[in-house]
Amino acid sequence: MIAYLCAIGIVALIYCLLALGLNLQFGLTRLVNFGVVAFFAVGAYTSGLLSLQGVPLVVCFIAAGVLSGLLALPIGLLSLRLRDDYLAIVTLGFSEAVRITIQQESWLTKGVQGLPGLPKLFAGWGGGLSDVAIFTVLAVIVGLVCWGTVRLTRSPFGRLLKAIGDDEAALSALGKDPARFKVQVFMLGAALAGVAGAFYAHFITFITPEQFIPLITFYVWMGLVMGGSGSVRGAMFGSLLLMVFLEGSRFAKDWVPGVSEVGMASLRLAAVGLALILVTLYRPHGLFGGKAK
Amino acid sequence: MTWIDFANLLINGLIEGLVVALPALAMTLVMGVNRFPNAATGDLLTTGAYAAVAVQMLGGVPLWLAALASVATTAAVSAGSYQLIFRKLAGRPMVASMLAAIGLGFLLRSLISFFAGHDQRTFDMPLVRAWNFGGIRILPTDLLIAAIAAACLLVVFVLIYRTSFGRQLRAVADSADLARASGIRAGGLMLCLWLLVGALSSISGVLLGMKAIVTPEMGWESLIPAFAAMVLGGIGSPLGAVLGALLLCVVQELSVPLLGPSYKLVLSFLVLALVLLLRPAGILGRVQLVR
Repeated sequence: MIAYLCAIGIVALIYCLLALGLNLQFGLTRLVNFGVVAFFAVGAYTSGLLSLQGVPLVVCFIAAGVLSGLLALPIGLLSLRLRDDYLAIVTLGFSEAVRITIQQESWLTKGVQGLPGLPKLFAGWGGGLSDVAIFTVLAVIVGLVCWGTVRLTRSPFGRLLKAIGDDEAALSALGKDPARFKVQVFMLGAALAGVAGAFYAHFITFITPEQFIPLITFYVWMGLVMGGSGSVRGAMFGSLLLMVFLEGSRFAKDWVPGVSEVGMASLRLAAVGLALILVTLYRPHGLFGGKAK
Repeated sequence: MTWIDFANLLINGLIEGLVVALPALAMTLVMGVNRFPNAATGDLLTTGAYAAVAVQMLGGVPLWLAALASVATTAAVSAGSYQLIFRKLAGRPMVASMLAAIGLGFLLRSLISFFAGHDQRTFDMPLVRAWNFGGIRILPTDLLIAAIAAACLLVVFVLIYRTSFGRQLRAVADSADLARASGIRAGGLMLCLWLLVGALSSISGVLLGMKAIVTPEMGWESLIPAFAAMVLGGIGSPLGAVLGALLLCVVQELSVPLLGPSYKLVLSFLVLALVLLLRPAGILGRVQLVR
């Protein structure tokens, strides 16, 4: 039971990290990133591949963050020229392009077979204890990111970001150049997703391209929008809600007899779709209010 | 690559382009009038294909009749989604409509895969042999597909440019406020638009199913190409959407010998990104739609 709770906690914290990254991009700066999973995937594969070469895990994690962040640079630059709807589809297309490339370039990534046997984080500590260690480290990192985000929001830089989200034209009229900040925030959010990917890779220890479908992106969106985007509390609460939903639907299978594993996956997807529709229709500021924008 | 291979790829690209032009046109109409990219277009296409499959499974129904039934079903789903969801999101940030459209897409796709499973399906139609003109091979089915797609495009263009429905639609697209001030009632007009969008998506779904196979993912996979075609041609330009689709699909087909068929979607994405970087207004688009 404790092992199960620990595993759920780790996955919840990984989603938290993704949601916090998206919160920087969308919640604060209104950059619509529909390709969260691409940076998650690049982080997971970067760290996974490097670790198989015997690179120390700390270096792998840093490389995952840096590479995901750098990969966001061209998309961030592109975002300067795009309205949010264009950026949405471009990032969505980007994430599919990344997934297909990972799937096709099997000389590097082993393609659809995936990468098995990745070294587990804190493996030397033994099964149960290593999970507790991963959980603790992740919790500390998520805490730091929360603290950093709150600090950022209150700093002059944060006010600038909020202003970009609210009214970019007015900001330009005041002589500020929003472009650089937008790109920086996009890269920062992507780097967080990359680190989340590395944690995922070295917790699950087996990654395949199929784990990085666009649905993951919309899980994160669902969590953030439900919790209320723009606030750290919203991102945290939304991720928790998402976890309850994901795990709850796993148990729901026992109550709904006659539904196969595949059928259940369909129902879960349907629930995500319905949730996205209902929340945007009736609770645009998150389930528990939040200030109007 | 000989010129015969080249010609075959070119013909295939043009046929595919005509089919992709239908969802691209549906997207560009919604984009021009309701001002958001309808990410559910692809899954409406899937809905159309599965509706036709379902009717055919009743037994003894010819494909054209099944296709008609599917057009009616999908148009109803599309208009219903406007009435229940997107109408209420008008005036809200574009992201809200987009998220809801993604949600609707997930919902449609998952309902389909829940009831119909993930197996590939095909339409019940006779197998025909390809005509061979000295190495240039043309399938009669492909010719039929191209003809139907072209006919549909023609009908839509007549609707847009030669009827009062089209005039009103273009008026709303230009300026919703001005259109309202001159007495155009948007309610019925929007429902007609969304019926048309559903019908277009459904036909392209059936045509894609005739050309290859029907799967729950087929529409989602054509979302990025349709969007790329729309952007390439210029957002809000119906003719641009068709030209963009033809150009994109020809380029995709010609790249197959170099990159293999799996990279088609990646190529769509690259074309999309390049167009947005170099000429964001597209081939025929108006600049003010892009920041």
